[in-house]
Amino acid sequence: MITRRDLLKVAGVAAGAVARDAGTEDRAMPGLSNTVVGPAGSLASAEMQSAPIAWLALTADEADLLTAIVARLIPSDANGPGAVEAGAVVYIDRGLAGALSSSREAYRRGLAALERYARTSRGAPFRELSATDRDSLLIDVETGAATGSGAGFDGSSAAFFAMLRAHTWQGTFGDPFYGGNRNFIGWDLLGYPGVRATVTADEQRLGVVPAPVRRSAYDSEMFNKATASARPGPRGHGHTA
Amino acid sequence: MVLLWAAAVSLPAQNLQPLTVTSPTIRAGETIPADHTADGRNISPALRWSGAPPSTREFAIICDDPDVPMPQPFVHWVLYQIPGTAMGVPESPPIDPAAPMPAEISGAVHGLSGFRRPIYRGPAPPPGKPHHYHFKVYAIDAVLDLRPGLTKAELLDAIKSHVVGEGELVAVYERKPAGLR
Repeated sequence: MITRRDLLKVAGVAAGAVARDAGTEDRAMPGLSNTVVGPAGSLASAEMQSAPIAWLALTADEADLLTAIVARLIPSDANGPGAVEAGAVVYIDRGLAGALSSSREAYRRGLAALERYARTSRGAPFRELSATDRDSLLIDVETGAATGSGAGFDGSSAAFFAMLRAHTWQGTFGDPFYGGNRNFIGWDLLGYPGVRATVTADEQRLGVVPAPVRRSAYDSEMFNKATASARPGPRGHGHTA
Repeated sequence: MVLLWAAAVSLPAQNLQPLTVTSPTIRAGETIPADHTADGRNISPALRWSGAPPSTREFAIICDDPDVPMPQPFVHWVLYQIPGTAMGVPESPPIDPAAPMPAEISGAVHGLSGFRRPIYRGPAPPPGKPHHYHFKVYAIDAVLDLRPGLTKAELLDAIKSHVVGEGELVAVYERKPAGLR
């Protein structure tokens, strides 16, 4: 069984590889060499975890609001850390500064509308609402009930929510190369064993739980890092992996 | 198809004891307060009822809006397995399915609303005209072991041969076009 300490060591190695690659050409998502990953490439160091984040696309206020939202989508609870701890907001921010830049305006308008909706419907900023009221409000946004509220959602509030939820999932459960899934929190939450080049016969036996591999797919030579370009790809997200 | 569905969930019109349904916050025929809508906290209203026959063992509540431009009314609330001893439901039972219901409606469970959520979601009509919201209460003469999360149609089908009383409270809500707010 891998310990938390071992996990963090592995994360440090993986992040180191990512940070080195981030310094070259256009391969990396923007911001991978910033304070979140850290110049030393260690996701594990406490000072990096607590260091202020230099937002690349979001304003500090937007990032704060987004943090409060994703904390309700995948909360930290008895199952383990959630989307905030996994760095989902960092993922979204780095994405909006690069491969997801076409969604930047949708976030700006959507977050502003959600905040207006919180004030008009619940009488307070989203971040000051109780957990129950936050969840209730997010359900209204998710289901489209907030659309006709006059808060200023573009089209249906459900479309904004769907985008936000998809990016939160990506930032929590995607490859750490893209800035989220910090310390492989998302993979641990799912019980995903990680990317591996080979699977032994023993590991394929029924009932065997393979030891988790906790490193980015892009640390394997068999994965071409060029596919992780920030340029828009066939799916419009700039990556095909 | 619509006719078949309607036949399947229609309730016997005879021998139903009329229930009187009231609310401390909603008045019949008047505008529903914003707190019970998507323009407010979106919490379910407290309801009170009287006139249930002695054979009542359970109650069920359905709130729907027949004014939507859809073949069937849009469902806002489905709550059932309310104990037969209850004289009403309190405001805003928990929206967390894992949270216990208040003591007076212990054992009650939510069904699916038209928003595909097993909780109350209040009026959120498109701007243009007032919509009517029917808070219907059914008295049921059996303890039915129903799973949580039934749709309105599934619930009506399950209780159709056990309904001994029925009443409703009807109120309205309207959203103004953005430029007129």
